[in-house]
Parts: sequence; structure tokens; C-alpha cells
Amino acid sequence: MTTGAGDHSIVTRGLTKRFRGGQVAVDDLHLSVPRGSVFGFLGPNGSGKTTTIRMLLGLVTPTGGAWELLGAPMPGGIPAALPRVGALVEGPAFYPYLSGEANLRRYDAADPAADPRTASRRIALALERVGLSAAARKRYRAYSLGMRQRLAIAAALLGPRELLVLDEPTNGLDPQGTREVRALVKEIAADGTTVFVSSHLLAEVEQMCTHLGVMRTGRLVAQGSLAELRELNAGETAVVRVETPDTAEAASVLAGLGLAGVRTGDGEAGAELGAVAPERITAALVAAGVAVRGLAVRRPSLEDVFVGLTGEGFDVDG
Amino acid sequence: MSTVDGTGIVTEAEPAGKGATAGSGPAAVPERSSGGAGLRAVPGGLSAGAREQAPASRPPGALRAWWRLLGSEAGLTFRRPRNLAVLAVLAAIPVLIGVVMRLFAEPLAAGAADGPGNGGAIFAQVAGNGLFLTFAALSLLVQLMLPVAVAVVAGDAVAGEAGAGTLRYLLTAPAGRTRLLAVKYGNAVLFCLAAVSVIAVSALVIGLALFPAGPITLLSGTTISFAEGLLRIGLVVLYVTAGMAALAAVALALSTLTEAAIGAIAATVVAVIVTQVLSVVPQLSWLHPYLLPQWWNGFDGVLRDPVATAEMGQGLLVFAAYTAIFGSIAWARFTGKDITS
Amino acid sequence: MSEQQQRGTREPARGSRVVRWGVPIAAVAVVAGAIGAGPVIAAVQGDPVLPERTAERLLADALKAAESGPEPMSGTVLQTASLGIPALPQLSGTGGTSPAALLTGSHELKVWYGGENRFRLAMPGRMSETDLIVNGDQAWLWESDSSTATRIKGSVKAENAPGNATPHPGALPTATTPQQIAEEVLRRADADTAVGVSSSEKVAGRDAYQLTLAPRDASSLVKEVKLALDGETFVPLRVQVYARSAAEPAFEIGFTSVSFTPPAPENFTFTPPPGATVKEQSLDELVEKADTEAQARQEKGERLADGLKTVGEGWTTVAVMPFSEQDLRGQVPGQGAGRQGQGGQEDASGAAADALLEAATPVSGPWGSGKVVRTKLVSALLTDDGRLLVGAVTPEKLVEVAGR
Repeated sequence: MTTGAGDHSIVTRGLTKRFRGGQVAVDDLHLSVPRGSVFGFLGPNGSGKTTTIRMLLGLVTPTGGAWELLGAPMPGGIPAALPRVGALVEGPAFYPYLSGEANLRRYDAADPAADPRTASRRIALALERVGLSAAARKRYRAYSLGMRQRLAIAAALLGPRELLVLDEPTNGLDPQGTREVRALVKEIAADGTTVFVSSHLLAEVEQMCTHLGVMRTGRLVAQGSLAELRELNAGETAVVRVETPDTAEAASVLAGLGLAGVRTGDGEAGAELGAVAPERITAALVAAGVAVRGLAVRRPSLEDVFVGLTGEGFDVDG
Repeated sequence: MSTVDGTGIVTEAEPAGKGATAGSGPAAVPERSSGGAGLRAVPGGLSAGAREQAPASRPPGALRAWWRLLGSEAGLTFRRPRNLAVLAVLAAIPVLIGVVMRLFAEPLAAGAADGPGNGGAIFAQVAGNGLFLTFAALSLLVQLMLPVAVAVVAGDAVAGEAGAGTLRYLLTAPAGRTRLLAVKYGNAVLFCLAAVSVIAVSALVIGLALFPAGPITLLSGTTISFAEGLLRIGLVVLYVTAGMAALAAVALALSTLTEAAIGAIAATVVAVIVTQVLSVVPQLSWLHPYLLPQWWNGFDGVLRDPVATAEMGQGLLVFAAYTAIFGSIAWARFTGKDITS
Repeated sequence: MSEQQQRGTREPARGSRVVRWGVPIAAVAVVAGAIGAGPVIAAVQGDPVLPERTAERLLADALKAAESGPEPMSGTVLQTASLGIPALPQLSGTGGTSPAALLTGSHELKVWYGGENRFRLAMPGRMSETDLIVNGDQAWLWESDSSTATRIKGSVKAENAPGNATPHPGALPTATTPQQIAEEVLRRADADTAVGVSSSEKVAGRDAYQLTLAPRDASSLVKEVKLALDGETFVPLRVQVYARSAAEPAFEIGFTSVSFTPPAPENFTFTPPPGATVKEQSLDELVEKADTEAQARQEKGERLADGLKTVGEGWTTVAVMPFSEQDLRGQVPGQGAGRQGQGGQEDASGAAADALLEAATPVSGPWGSGKVVRTKLVSALLTDDGRLLVGAVTPEKLVEVAGR
């Protein structure tokens, strides 16, 4: 959009953070976040996601490597790039004795690129966007957990943003709130804003993201579009499973359709799906008079990919 | 979330965990929050809407942005209940001194006069001239109370924001580290001026209410008019503010070293007390000219005839030296610090 | 992120860190440089700005200038003493204005001199000030602590000029302008002294000559006495006494700022402020009072003086007089007795004597035994047979003299 870094909002080259004592929080990170994407930054707690985000935003200085934000080489480009970046880092933090509106005004004042003349309008708009207009004049102290999270998102939306960095945006939200955040992210992305969202929950990321990066103990183990990542275990094919009392007949139908790996079990039969369309299997089973109680196609999921990559599941709070 | 809207339930794919059924691929189901008080789609979207304004309104001047941030800092400092309480205490002490002296004027004055060289005389003068309450109150409060008040604000400046986590949002705004630190220091100086002025004004009001007013006798025995006395109070306020501003630089430097505001505040107060102790040990007299608190009382030069400009000038140089050294330490530390809170 | 992860610091960009911390280091260097600038600059630009003068010539010029009397001037005099006297309870008070207080720490005195019979001395204290203003036949002593103005009647003689004027012996230092002490030193410059001169000194921002007088006798505790004279007016600007035992002067008195423009006439006028206690004393009375105050001490002193004799001459003169511990108890407090009687002084003086004796080291010789108190510049030997030996010499010398 602006400078020559072309089509990436975030690019890191060998970004490394080694803390005193030798502990490596982030190791040789090569991240590429395409413009306009919703990039899910996935990894268990403690895998270096937050340190990475802090480095990207110039809060923590890397011990090695380089990075660019919105085409500007960092950290020199902080004054140019950060006003176009909205950020939510490690949960909300506000002044408890100020109202929500006054809190946003405070952060807006910190941005030298923000125009004070439009501040009131932008603040009202951001509050409206997250549904806090009614609570704008309430003290932050009196906000519920969810309201605080929403106010933090509002702070990230104070200006025209080209990149939104959201660190665990649904932390502490109830299911309804989680859904709303997801909807908001999609809406923002629809405007062309790049969204970089970190999470330790695969389910969450999978539902709103177009691209993924996966962290494991400080290393980026995979990144790419969802489709690309799925292909990582292209070797594993989809499996069809038929629930039926007539397991033998079902198995022979499946074999008759040319499916490989046909097997039978207790009250079910299964096979590798291959190139056969599931509806053909259904039709064939019915035509053969097999009593079908249920039919499921299990495709290789991202979960499998990630478990393979990271050695652990993602819905488990680490 | 404050509201959970019953109608807002959205049919949703089973979370991609335990084996999704056919066809329910990830990211397949677009969802829409259906109203309620939740996050809402604003027509046009914010990014787009705000972007329209961007070209129309030119980015504000850098200077104006500095002032805006300073205004925000000052608003924060002077609206914070704790700081207002500190100012209220500072204002109450001259009132207390004045009332006590009014009630027990004779014995106290006589008792105070017994301690030569300890500023006792200045208290003795209050009974004769209300204007002297200002000098008396400042000479008393400048020893500890005022430094504590300054430490509370300046020690909190960076550490408090770091501890609350607000520092990371200010820096990603991006406030700019040097700019933020400079504004924080400017704000601390502003608070110093406010604190000193509060004491001076409170003492002036109560002094004039309880005691006679008139020409002032200086320490040198010369008499000056009431109006000139007011002018000299103004000079005293500025001098003491400069002394407190130097302390604020020390507190700010300490504030960049920790994320616990109370630690920075306590360290500053302890430093003040230790130097106060050192400055009464005669064996360390060679050290005394380098100690900051030693110069705070230098405002008595205003009460001499001629005004002891040389001594007060030296005091201001000491303040400037402290400000430069500790200000640059604060800067070096803060600009290189990893913000991990 | 876990806590311990966040604790870390950056070891990255080492260079930029060095640059950053270079700023405060530079600030410290600049400040330290500014503090030491005077001596450093003087040392660097060591070229003598003043024409060379031999010691004799300089002494002559100085004495001539002293004879014709000082020019109108004003300035601030700082006196610093580090005599190495055992800490005495009575002496270590801060900010006191008694002469005893001058023995320790540093003290500031402001001087305005407008010509003969027109001068003002001010001793600033913390939130207090003591002033002596002499203008022709008018003389005022102002003490802000007690808000007292004392009018001193009777003409003040020329010889009572600056330092000599001590109408209130308790409140003002007795012996302390550079002029006065310089005269004393100049008289001493004789055969047993090595005299040196330099023309590149800088005192209170003025180019100055410096005379260095060093005793030739090794048993003297005095290493050297330095006397700085203004390059133009030959007014003594600074006197420093160095002891053999220390690199810093044991005693120093000098101008920290000085101006030879005549001071404003307002400095020499004084009207008692309203509300102040006004006393009147004629100079004669005052002298008399001071005399009677001194009388008590003198009486004791007379007995001592009767037996007083000196051994040796020049730098290593030793005074010998009959004295006992009892006398000591009566003598020490005398220094502070000038002020209005304050309760507890007697006790305090006893304590001071005890402290003094406690700090003493016992010595003995063929003549008997005694106790020696040694300071940087003066040693005193109190023998058990009731003699007191005092001199600016090593204790060994005193012991030797005691045996004679």
C-alpha cells in the first residue's frame, strides 16, 4: 500500500530473543504476514508468541535478526509505522480511575500522528464499534472483564489502521463475547486491514484466519495459508466410516466402489475415501439395502497437522 | 460481556477438535453477530471511515502533539485522587502551623528562638508578620514533606505505568520513548511547581488571616515593602521548584529501574533521608556542597540584603547538574529497556 | 510469557547501548569537569599571566599595599578548617556562630569594604544572619536569630578595621580576614623559612601571586603556608596552611568571590527594623564588658602567664606553662562563654575536657610522664607534674623539650 515492502504487513528475518541467562524465548523467526490476511499466530502458552509480538511492536529489543512493519524497517520505523498499527498486547491495561472514554483519549494523546480535532469522533466511533457507547462514561474500575477486553479492542481501533495486532483477543470472554470478537475481526479484515491474531486455541484461529503460523518453544514450525497447511499431511487421506448393523455387506459395497483399506469393526465399516465422492457411497449403500445408521467422512484436520508439528493439542491450556 | 442475547445464538461448526463431520471445514462458516449490545458492525467500517478523514486533516504539528501529551499527563496527575490528597496535606500544614502559632504564639516563639541557626528565628518572626509564615512553612516542608510529595509523583511516573501495563499501550500508540520520558519529566516539574505554590499560597492566606501584615524585615535587618515581599515569595517558589525538579529527575531515574512504583518512591525518600543524615555529620563537611538537600534551603538568600544571588546561583547550578545527570540516566535506561509488563 | 523470561535485558545491539549510556557518562564528566574546572584550567593555561616577581619584590609590594590600606572591595570569604582536633561535643555543633565553631568545618563570611571606617561583615546561617555594620561613627550589630539590633557608640578606630573589630566577642570570629593572617605570615618569613613564589595562581577568578613558606625544621608539623596575593592590588586573597600529615590544607581562608568595585552605599546603612529589640552600648562599655568577661579567665590565665616561657624560636617554638587537668576543666568552656549564659554549659565543658583527655596518648620520659594530644598542626603535652607544653611541632619534640 505504501512502501516497497510490497505485499507483506509483517516480515521478520531471523528474529531472535535471548534473555539474560541464555534462555531463548524466540529463535530465528522468519515470519511473513501477507497484506490483507487474517494471520493466526498459534502456539501453546510459553511458546514465544507474546515475546514475538512485543518485539514486533518495539517493546522488547531482539537480540538478533531484523523485521519490517508495514514496509518500514524497524525499530527505526516505529514513528512511521506504529500509528497505522492497532495493538492489543497481553490483555487490557487502563487507568482504573478514568472513564472508558477518558482512557481512550489518553492513548490517543500518546499518538503524535493522531489529530486532536477528530479525537472525540474517533473515540465515539471506536466505542460504538465495540458496543461500549453506553458505558463510555463509566469508570474503568467498574467494567466487567468482557467490557475491559472490548475497551482494549476499541483502543486498537482508534485510528485508521492497516494492521491490527491482537494478542489473545478472546481471553476472558464468554462464548458470546468470543463470537462477537470473531465477527469483528472478519469485518475489519473485510475492509482490507491485515489482522495478526495470536491464540493458543486452534478452534478460534481456524475459524477466522486465512493464514497461520505455528510456534513451538520459540521456533516457527510452520506457516502458510490454511490450505497449504492442510496439505502438510496430504499423505493422510480422508476416511469414510459407515455405522451399520450389516457390517459385512457394507464392507463389500465399499470394496465394490474400489475403496482401499476396507475394514470392519463393531457396528461399523470403514475405508479410505480416495477420489470417490461420499454421496456415491451413500447411494451405493442404500441401493445394496444396507441399513445405514450414520455415515461420516473424516478428513485429515489441522488438529492432526498441529499435533504432528508441536507434539501437543491446542485446546489444552498449557 | 454485559449482555448475552438469546437471539444471538449462531449455528456453529463443531470446534475443529474431535473430528469434524463431513463438509464442515475450518473457516467455512461465516458468522455474523446478530445485533444485541455486542460488537456491532458500523456502516462503512471504522478503517474506511477514518481513512476518509486522514487526507483531509493534516497530521498535527509535532509541537502540538507534545503539548497534547503533556496536557494528558497533567490531567492524569491532577485528577488522580492520591495526588490531590498529597496536595491537600501540603496545603493543610501551613494552616496547622499558623493556627498553632496563633494559639501558642508566645511560648513557641520563645522556644524557637532558643535554637539559633536552625531557622527558629524565622518562626519567631511569623507572629509579627504573616508573610513570614510562607518562608517558615517552606523551610520546614522542604526538608521532608515536599520531597516525599515529589517522590510520589515522579517515582510513579514510569514505574507506575509499567506496573499497570499502560506503558506498553502508550509506547505502541506510539508515544515514543524519549518523548514520553520528557513529557513525564515536564509533568513532574509542573507538579513540583504546583506543590510549592500550594504551600506558599496556603501559608500566605492563613498568615495574612491570622497575623498582622506589613513591611518585612529581612534576615539582614533591612526592611522591604509588602509588595516586594510578595515578589520575593515568588522568587522563593521558583527556587524551591527548581530544587524539587532536581529531585524529580532522581526519582524519575529510579522509576525507570523498576516496575513497582512504590519501590521507586520509597527509594527516593530513603535517598533523601540518607543525604539529610549525611549533611549533619560534620566530619563529612567536604561532601556537603555536593548533596542535593543541602541546597534546598538556599532560598533564604532571597531574604538577605543584597539578595545572595551568588549562593542561589550556585544552588541552581547544583540543581541543573543533578537534573542533567539523573535525567540522562533515566533516558539511557528507559530508551533501552525491554517493556515486559 | 513467564516472569523469568521477561526479566532479561538486551545484550543485542551492544553498540547502541554503549552510545546510550555514553550520554549520562558524558553528563557526569561535564559536571565533574565544571567542579574541577578552576584548578584544571589554571593548570592547563599555566602560562604566567602576571609579570614575574621575586619573593622579595612581591613581599615588598605586598607590604607597601598593606601599609596604604586596602581598596574598596566586596566578596565572600570561606574559611575551612580540618585541624584534626578530637571530636568535642561542644565544638561540633553545626551552624553555630561562636568562634569555637570556626575550628571545624567550613564557614562563610561576606565582606563589604567601602574604605576606612565603612565596612559590613555578614555571617549567614541557615535562615539567620549576623551582621556588623560600621559606617563612620555609627556601628550596628544585628542578630536575626534574636531579632536584636545593638548600637555601638563611640568611634571605631582604623586598627579595628575588618577582622579586628570584635565588639561582641561571642558572636563574631576573632581573627579571620585574609589581610590579617597574611600580615602574621609575612612577619614570620625569615631565615628558618624556605620561600617560594609562583605567578600563575587563580583565586576567586583573579590572577594571583602565591608565596609558599615552608619551615626548614623537620620537627615542625607545618609543611607549608601558602599565601595568595591579588596580582593587581596585592590584597591577600587566600591563606592555606598545610600540615605534614595531609595533602589537603588543614586550615584555609580565602575569598571565593571578590570584586574591587566599591560596594553600594546601602550596605553601610542600617536602621533597626520595626519590632526588633534595640540595645545601646558604647564601645568603651563593650570593651570593658568583654574585658570583665575575659577577666575570670584571665585571672586563671595570669597564674599561667607568670610561669610562661618559650623554648626555641620560629616555627618550632614551644610554649611551656604550669597547668593541670583541673585548669583544663575550667579553661575549655571559655571559648563559648561569650553568649548569654545557657544552662548546662558547665556540664558540657566538663564533658569536653574529659573527651579531650580521653583522646590523649600517654607518654613518658626521664622527666616523668604525661599525656599528649596531637592535631594536624598543634601538639600539646600535659605532664603529670603540672606543666603544659604547646607547639606546632611533633610530639617527640615536645617530649624532648619537656626533658630540658
